[in-house]
Amino acid sequence: MKRVEVKLSLLVVAPLLDVIKGLADDINREPANAKPPKDLDGEFAEAWSRDLLGGQQNDVAVLLALFGEEFFLDGIVSFDQTNAEAIARACSAVRLLLRDRFLRPLADEALESGEVELTHLNSEVQKAFLCYLFLATIQELIIQHLDETILG
Amino acid sequence: MSETKTNTSPSQRPATDLQLEPVWRVVVLNDPVNLMSYVVLVFKKVFGFSEETARRHMLEVHESGRSAVWSGAREKAEAYLFTLQQWHLTVILEPDEAR
Repeated sequence: MKRVEVKLSLLVVAPLLDVIKGLADDINREPANAKPPKDLDGEFAEAWSRDLLGGQQNDVAVLLALFGEEFFLDGIVSFDQTNAEAIARACSAVRLLLRDRFLRPLADEALESGEVELTHLNSEVQKAFLCYLFLATIQELIIQHLDETILG
Repeated sequence: MSETKTNTSPSQRPATDLQLEPVWRVVVLNDPVNLMSYVVLVFKKVFGFSEETARRHMLEVHESGRSAVWSGAREKAEAYLFTLQQWHLTVILEPDEAR
């Protein structure tokens, strides 16, 4: 089984984890970027959103499990076929929620390119943006090294 | 072996609704958040697209703001919509009025 291990700086990553944990209410409220078809009737629409929300909660739990007690001992996270797909999706969900909650003041072009002058942002938005970039890096790592695993 | 004789003259056929099922398109819209490489991965995973086809649709989303990635019966279109939303792409269904 292919496995990718990455050593991260605890000093850098710990504050970013706090940002993700601070989004717990948003993560548990509704699925990111998802709406049932407009003409779907009430019960089906509710089930649609509920199922997506359940998937999102599971995926984010897998992402956060990377940063358990062991991570705080050695700073190492590992990705393999058991978690790669869920983490890739979770990164997307959390990035979308970060945008909705904190990053609306940033232009779409800035979000796409990642070119943002950090000193122009207040500390809350700075942290959210760094978390946004951190999650993109995790996604890129997974896609570069484990995309065959995800595609099966 | 027995042979069953049936009368199939058009005048005796039961009335059937020959109207074709409407066709629906699954359309992915651009968003500034999801990475290009991630969108390509999702297209390959969900639709079984080749790298080339997946990249072509991703670039169409990026440059034109939208790409119709699948069309067909409503039920299957809804299933694709759900799956793409599990991956957090911005996606809608729309009737394929060209057909």
